[in-house]
Amino acid sequence: MASVSEMYDVGWEEMRDKLRKWREDNCRNSEQIVDVGEELIGEHSSKLGDDIWIIYEQVMIAALDCSRDDLALVSLAETFQGRWFVLENPRVSVETCLQELRKQFPDSHRVKRLSGMRLEALERYDEANKHYDTILQDDPTNTAARKRKISILKAQGKSAEAIRELNEYLEQFVGDQEAWHELSELYINEHDYGKAAFCLEELMMTNPHNHLYCEQYAEVKYTQGGLENLELSRKYFAQALRLNNRNMRALFGLYMSASHIAASPKVSAKVKKDNMKYAAWAATQINRAYKMAGRGTKENKCSVKAVEEMLESMQINIS
Amino acid sequence: MAEPELLLDSNIRLWVVLPIVFITFLVGVIRHYVSILLQSDKKLTLEQVSDSQVLIRSRILRENGKYIPKQSFLMRKFYFNNQEDGFFKKTKRKVVPPSPMTDPSMLTDMMKGNVTNVLPMILIGGWINWTFSGFVTTKVPFPLTLRFKPMLQQGIELLSLDASWVSSASWYFLNVFGLRSMYSLILGQDNGADQSRIMQEQMSGAAMAMPADTNKAFKAEWEALELTDHHWALESVEEDLMSRELDFDGMFSKELPSGIF
Repeated sequence: MASVSEMYDVGWEEMRDKLRKWREDNCRNSEQIVDVGEELIGEHSSKLGDDIWIIYEQVMIAALDCSRDDLALVSLAETFQGRWFVLENPRVSVETCLQELRKQFPDSHRVKRLSGMRLEALERYDEANKHYDTILQDDPTNTAARKRKISILKAQGKSAEAIRELNEYLEQFVGDQEAWHELSELYINEHDYGKAAFCLEELMMTNPHNHLYCEQYAEVKYTQGGLENLELSRKYFAQALRLNNRNMRALFGLYMSASHIAASPKVSAKVKKDNMKYAAWAATQINRAYKMAGRGTKENKCSVKAVEEMLESMQINIS
Repeated sequence: MAEPELLLDSNIRLWVVLPIVFITFLVGVIRHYVSILLQSDKKLTLEQVSDSQVLIRSRILRENGKYIPKQSFLMRKFYFNNQEDGFFKKTKRKVVPPSPMTDPSMLTDMMKGNVTNVLPMILIGGWINWTFSGFVTTKVPFPLTLRFKPMLQQGIELLSLDASWVSSASWYFLNVFGLRSMYSLILGQDNGADQSRIMQEQMSGAAMAMPADTNKAFKAEWEALELTDHHWALESVEEDLMSRELDFDGMFSKELPSGIF
């Protein structure tokens, strides 16, 4: 299999910079990270200097994500050991040294969390829990360990408990946006849309210019149903579009919510008229977008017709 | 009235100016590493972390509350400010103002700070003054008034000498502050040799010893939140949006980024 550097004709510096960019953007492209990182560690470890530890951590987490347990173990051992270790027979030789090295470097919470994550990947949840508990005894403010414990509950399918624990966590660490988002996801899975909306509101407040949160909030409101919520959802779909003109999902959402309100029997004539206007505008924009997409292709005329039919079929009729 | 320029022995340059620069620089580097060794871990309690985050959340509510629906804003405001059991009303933290005498860790911190920073400066300044005394080291490029003479010309007893000519002690102090940017180049930002930053911190630290006083912070937040109203930013969002066509630029470009690089 060709190496990454051969395939893309890049040097080790570019690979290292790419890894750093992924780290800063918090991307979850684990397969790519594993490919690039494995080669970087394998061939160029001496040139990396102190960067190598953070790269080990990044590659290890990506490897656990791709179920590359052998690579994860090796990265973990390196991180513990502080020395370059030759990978002749990774699985066998590393297991034993992992035990030894744990004795040698028992103090780093960050590395402990990594070994806990490895246990999670092997589905040894009780051991992993014990691991995290020791970290928390030592340092009660360690957020990483608490979040891993909650993800263990989620992995085991105990969503009610996970929700409870996450709520307690958020009571103490109200500022953790990752946690709010996770909680909103858990609530959506439980169909508790009111509480999910609350979490998304927190996120919208802290990130007022993020169109994705607005859109997700609008979708939750739309799912909740009821005239008030539909109005709110229409407003937030419009806000998402205002923040990012290219958000097609928000455009469709705007169309759907506006037509839904217009079709509802309980609204006044003025509201109905306004909403039909909004829906018509949204439909024109959708048509425009599809026309633009189909530029230069032969199927353009057919697809435009298909879009119009689709829009008609999505019309909500008074039942 | 232009004075005749003094011509300094070039030995001064070789044996005084440069050594002082080296000494200052090396001392700075040593200070940085010593401060790393002596650093004590600041342990924050869970309560402190939690409180600081709550204050941030309340502030965000005040600033960005206009992006969430009115009902949600009122709900949160009620939670914080309610008369009987609002968070800011109900929570009283036991506040022990960390005076240097009672709090042992702060005492050691202060001592360490003094030892690593002030003491070496005084010692070395004094030593340089003693060693390199009795002659003029350099001339500052701007004219100075006579008031600066006793300060900058320690050890040179000449009444008629222009105040711009300074002794080695002042050259040393000039270096201490001037090498700051060199330190950040070599030791990276946030290094322990940064004298002036430390002094700044000491000054501003006195002004904001507040984190200990969470009760006052809560009261301030309560007042600020009481005054905030909700002006929904989304009142006319549809009209704004539909005033012009959507901009689909760049959405359907033929070139999609392929692969990793």
